Amino acid sequence: MMLLTCPNCGARNVSEFRYVGEAKSRPDPETATPEQWRRYLYFHRNPAGWISETWYHGSGCRRYFGIERNTVDNAQRSAAGTAGATS
Amino acid sequence: MSRNGQHDGPGRARRTSRYSAWSLVKNGLGAGSGWERAFRHHTPKETYDVIIIGGGVHGLATAHYLAENHGITDIAVLEKSYIGSGGSGRNTAILRSNYLTPEGVRFYDRSVKLYEHLAADLNFNVMFSQRGHMTLAHNDSSLRTMHWRAEVNKLQGVDSSVIDPAEIKKLVPYMDVSSSTRYPILGALYHPPGGIIRHDAVVWGYARSADAHGVHIHQKTEVVGIDVASNRVTGVRTADGRRISAPVVVNCTAGWSTLISDMVGVDMPVQTFPLQAAVTEPVKPFLDTVVVSGTLHTYVSQTDRGELVFGASVDPFASYSTRGSLDFVEGLAGHVLELMPGLSKMRLLRQWAGLCDMTPDYSPIMGLTPVEGFFVDVGWGTYGFKAGPVSGEAMAACIAHGKPPEIIAAFGLERFDEGRLVGEKGAAAVGH
Amino acid sequence: MTRPGARRRAAADHRLGARPGEVIDRSRTIEFRWNGVTHTAHPGDTIASALAAAGVRMFARSYKYHRPRGLLTADIFDPGAILQVGDEPNVRAAHRLVEPGMDVRSQNTWPSLRYDVKAVNQLAGRFLATGFYYKTFIKPERLWPTYEKVLRQFVHAGEVPPDSEQPYFDKRYAHPDVLVAGGGPAGLAAALSAARAGARVMLVEQEHQLGGHLRWGDADDLRLRDELVAAVEAEAGIEVLTDSVVAARYDDNWLALVQRGLPHVAERLIKARAGTLVVAAGLIERPYVFAGNDLPGVMLSTAVRRLLNLYAVRPGRRAVVFTANPEGDAAAADLRAAGVDVVEVDARHGRTVVRATGRGGVEAVELSDGSRIEADLLVTAIGWTAPTSLLNMSGANPVYRPDAARFVPDPGATPDGVIAVGGIAGDGTREELVAHAEAAGREAAARASALAAVHAAGRPDGPAATPRPAEPVPALGLRHHPELFYATPTGGFVDMSEDVSAKDILTAVKEGYDSSELVKRYTTATMGPAQGKLETVNTVALVAHATGKTIAETGATTWRPMYTPITLGALAGRKFEPVRHSPVQPWHEAHKATPLIAGQWIRPEHYGDPAAEVRNVRAGVGIIDVTPIGKLDLQGPDVPKLLNLLYVNKWSKLGIGRVRYGVMCAEDGVVLDDGVTGRLAENHYLMSTTSSGAGTVWEWAENWLQTEHPEWQIHITPVTTAFASINVAGPKSRELLARLTDVDLDNTAFGYMNVRTGTIAGVDNCVLWRIGFTGELSYELHVPASYGLHVWEALMATGADLGIAPFGVEAQRILRLEKGHFIVGQDTDGLTKAYSAGLDRVVKLDKSDFAGKPELAWQAARGEYPMLVGLRPLDTSVIPEEASQIISDGGYIVGRITSSRLSPTLGHPICLGQVDAHLADPGTRLTVRLRNGSDTTVEVTAEHAHFDPEGERQRV
Repeated sequence: MMLLTCPNCGARNVSEFRYVGEAKSRPDPETATPEQWRRYLYFHRNPAGWISETWYHGSGCRRYFGIERNTVDNAQRSAAGTAGATS
Repeated sequence: MSRNGQHDGPGRARRTSRYSAWSLVKNGLGAGSGWERAFRHHTPKETYDVIIIGGGVHGLATAHYLAENHGITDIAVLEKSYIGSGGSGRNTAILRSNYLTPEGVRFYDRSVKLYEHLAADLNFNVMFSQRGHMTLAHNDSSLRTMHWRAEVNKLQGVDSSVIDPAEIKKLVPYMDVSSSTRYPILGALYHPPGGIIRHDAVVWGYARSADAHGVHIHQKTEVVGIDVASNRVTGVRTADGRRISAPVVVNCTAGWSTLISDMVGVDMPVQTFPLQAAVTEPVKPFLDTVVVSGTLHTYVSQTDRGELVFGASVDPFASYSTRGSLDFVEGLAGHVLELMPGLSKMRLLRQWAGLCDMTPDYSPIMGLTPVEGFFVDVGWGTYGFKAGPVSGEAMAACIAHGKPPEIIAAFGLERFDEGRLVGEKGAAAVGH
Repeated sequence: MTRPGARRRAAADHRLGARPGEVIDRSRTIEFRWNGVTHTAHPGDTIASALAAAGVRMFARSYKYHRPRGLLTADIFDPGAILQVGDEPNVRAAHRLVEPGMDVRSQNTWPSLRYDVKAVNQLAGRFLATGFYYKTFIKPERLWPTYEKVLRQFVHAGEVPPDSEQPYFDKRYAHPDVLVAGGGPAGLAAALSAARAGARVMLVEQEHQLGGHLRWGDADDLRLRDELVAAVEAEAGIEVLTDSVVAARYDDNWLALVQRGLPHVAERLIKARAGTLVVAAGLIERPYVFAGNDLPGVMLSTAVRRLLNLYAVRPGRRAVVFTANPEGDAAAADLRAAGVDVVEVDARHGRTVVRATGRGGVEAVELSDGSRIEADLLVTAIGWTAPTSLLNMSGANPVYRPDAARFVPDPGATPDGVIAVGGIAGDGTREELVAHAEAAGREAAARASALAAVHAAGRPDGPAATPRPAEPVPALGLRHHPELFYATPTGGFVDMSEDVSAKDILTAVKEGYDSSELVKRYTTATMGPAQGKLETVNTVALVAHATGKTIAETGATTWRPMYTPITLGALAGRKFEPVRHSPVQPWHEAHKATPLIAGQWIRPEHYGDPAAEVRNVRAGVGIIDVTPIGKLDLQGPDVPKLLNLLYVNKWSKLGIGRVRYGVMCAEDGVVLDDGVTGRLAENHYLMSTTSSGAGTVWEWAENWLQTEHPEWQIHITPVTTAFASINVAGPKSRELLARLTDVDLDNTAFGYMNVRTGTIAGVDNCVLWRIGFTGELSYELHVPASYGLHVWEALMATGADLGIAPFGVEAQRILRLEKGHFIVGQDTDGLTKAYSAGLDRVVKLDKSDFAGKPELAWQAARGEYPMLVGLRPLDTSVIPEEASQIISDGGYIVGRITSSRLSPTLGHPICLGQVDAHLADPGTRLTVRLRNGSDTTVEVTAEHAHFDPEGERQRV
């Protein structure tokens, strides 16, 4: 089981966390076209490599946080931006 | 008829020696193996009519049906590893058609029908064992969903019904159907035509047939780029530096489908998740039915070799890693013993993982794309193997006629932009 | 002493005199049964050694051809000694120690091991060659199920009786700095040096004793073993586990260990997070492929030395030793010393064994020079396999070295947290291997310490750490070894477990299955119990031969978990399946409530007669325990902003003391949850959610707060179980409650959709909501959980004269259905958007923003969506089952019944259902296909509510 580093709690078993998904920015709901909104809802970059994503430390401090993870080998580095930042 | 397939010209059909009990005896009596190669090596040509990326059951079935049903044989199947190395060789080989939506039921029912005659059609025993498939319900809401599926199935002519714990016990004597368990079994959706199959044999059978029709199967040939000019596909580039041109390129990959589509700039509503499976040491046959529990995230069947094959739901986070986890086998073992407590001394032999391309509505993405000549048959989630034959048949028709046949009309890529998701999500959200 | 029923007692006449390294306790003798015959053993004997001591050579019949098979490796990987012990299948008899009274049987033999009927398959063998089943049984299709049944009879395995006992298994967590997998000389030395460098060390050995191959070695080997073992045992920082295995390595050195031999625990799974993993798995001797290589009496040199030196068993009387290395020479010397006649065939001088012959066991050996030697034992020592499984699982695939004739780890590909030592890493003298392992142990300790510092620094208050780069461990050399895999590429078995011959491999390649992976899948070679530890390299060598490629080009298949198979019981451990009960549960149980499993919660479904419970609520007063309802305490000045964002309706103007119903949608407009939220004070709100949605809604709200609006001042506390929740419903509920509370219940003081706080039955800090899920005058009480039972009992006692009765979830479902309230997840599904749920009057598109707003705006504009409608069967004797499909004249599905009950209040069936847009108008008649195949007609009603659609009863 891989370790994931929570900014509050440090390295913990990944089973303590819930995967939220790729970090995405929410389009302005007033002006978004259907296509823009559905890209936000349904589409993913899904790269084989580094990705910015959001995790939730549900069995710990309950913080949502951003992290960069390599989807090929699960290596991690802390996210440049904050949680929810645009990918 | 050439003994050595190497001498057959590309794109030209050859006759393959038939497999039968008689040929088996004949070859057994001969000095050595007189069997021909089931599939041959070729030097890639510069141009093909159709390039299929992905040498799994989808890619090979598409090639087979293009040749068989539409007379299109100038085809290259490009496989980055060996045929069947991806999801086709890593799934738990369960077949069923008891889906929730009419479009899903119709589609998978066609697949099961094709599977039923596949051995004869391909002259290759794929060992489809229609031993019955049951999906357990452990609470009111899942029992309601089982009834929902049963009613939809019946209306589509698919053999499905909800059975009670006593009937379950009769079919699976090892099952604990008492009410004292944490997740008591209230009933099950029973689907007699469902079962298991020898997954590798399906891959090889299609490959052998495609090869006999003159299709070139290039293994260890990875596509690293796709060329597009004026919004039209013109060909592919491979890791060994080749450029192979073709007016039609079909993405039949799983796990890597977004990476291939990225090469032509087509975005995909797909996320790649590992799906794990495991197998035990063999024991004498005792389980004649495929058993699935959504609540316990477990499915179990026993192969003709006596092994129990286990699967579960996809891993909890997106990844391209296929190394597997201990969590998975711990949960699996716990859930299997919850269902069949007498198996605690059986041993887990091996675990592995494959990659699943999950879509938002638990349904595939098939058909045309905004780039002309670039077709997709992707987004197969955890159910791609079941759909191999019908997907090949439908994609072949789609390619031959330039438009998706009715049976896959609901599965187009455009549905996501248009917000018309397929209703299988309804069951997944309610269900388990 | 003879047991009743035992046929005879076999003598241990192959047992030698005392050996210096023996592990048996000759002072005691124990008895066990082998195929019904009583045998003896000494404590310390494995099943196989005890049987071998009695002269047993044949242990099993092979998979396909039912050929006789005997001991090959005499360890846990032995493919010839897999037996049934009692109700336990597939026991590794060359590893499992004899216990008194064991009932050991050979597997898959009928009628007996000696006279096995299926052995006729040997005659048909040429037709059963690899892949035969793909080529036959194709037509006629209808006969395949019959063929399949026959094939299944051949399953080569033990059995699990249906009444198998379920022994106790458990689990443990461990956090060693350094975990050493393998207790041979290198593992012992690495563990010692790591511990001496300050690391907490766990040393895990699969066999029953520490020492690895030193155990069956010469006097110097035994002396070194004694020294190392004594030092390890004296070292406080080392925990030693024997008869235990590191079965798998996962990401970040998460290790699965199985510990056996514990009192009262069948097996224990240890989950260890190790700083550094030191892999000291040693080398596994590789069998040689030649005609007759599966005959009982063909053994590896290590098997022979184990039998001789650990168990004092003479494995034969006249031996041919085919050797290519010093270990083989030593086996020959050991055999001679035990009085066995030995002929050595030295591969280093170009001599080769080409064939073993005999009936039921080796009788003669034929050499490449044409000579023939009578012998009952053929020992091979032709090379080694590095069992690199744990390194493969670490992402490092081994590379082939022709000079050493084996695959070796690629140190460049191994992650820093994993170090290989001992034979798996390279060759050397005893002293070189120990010195290398000592250096590796020190480095392992240093890396573990550096990792711990990095983890400590990862916490906000952690100390700063300068990362220490991993220092390389000097590489071991490789001893030259001739490449010996097969005598001829067409003779003998390459996989004894699977009955795959060398010829099968060539056939597979010829048929086009010309890579290691396809050969494995086509022939099943390497897929048996040892998972290729004995078979992979020989298979690869044959594939390379057949394809004309080198072994390095051909490459091996991947080794996956488990290193050795582990039981499902150990993986499962004890059952920990939490359930949740309300504080009122003891009362429910005492009053014979029928339990209902609702997610984690166990709730009363009813107390005997749900229809009577419904009538009692409509006519008098009832109470229901609704503790599982999700409750979130929201505090802060910005709460209305959050409510406006989460709910589809408006919240800015909710006054203090007011309660409002709200629906939440996900960003795709699909109904996510519903409930009421009340404003208790200026900046204090209490939100309720569905029971199953409690966790989801909390995380959903936190997500918005933390990621989109961190500037909002809001604090969310989940209080679901801080309160016991009781709904008091019915026309007499005010009268009842007034007897117990200080809150003014007058309709003008505390009207419908209001909230008050106060005292109930003497309990302070209770929250009272006046809401109406049941459609009656009702109060939902949230009382501090520890007083839940008290308040419940007070209500029951105080309301006795009013006819109070409890009601359960089933009555509540009927009451709400009479009122037309939908249940999220039952009447809606994963695609039901708010307008489809009939929420036109709730959704406020003129709000600036809320979750799911764009999709709902488009849904409203587009129209033509499926609708949730009230339905009333025209034939009042028919209650359509839930999930019945609504069909068109042509038989197409146009909707379904989502809820259906007989209404005790109205006396006729009532339903909710989803139907296509054009069928949703009131008065439309629809056909419902019932489960029994018949059809019935229902009519769309004007409202969802079948009873009191104006809601007058709840406002009184």
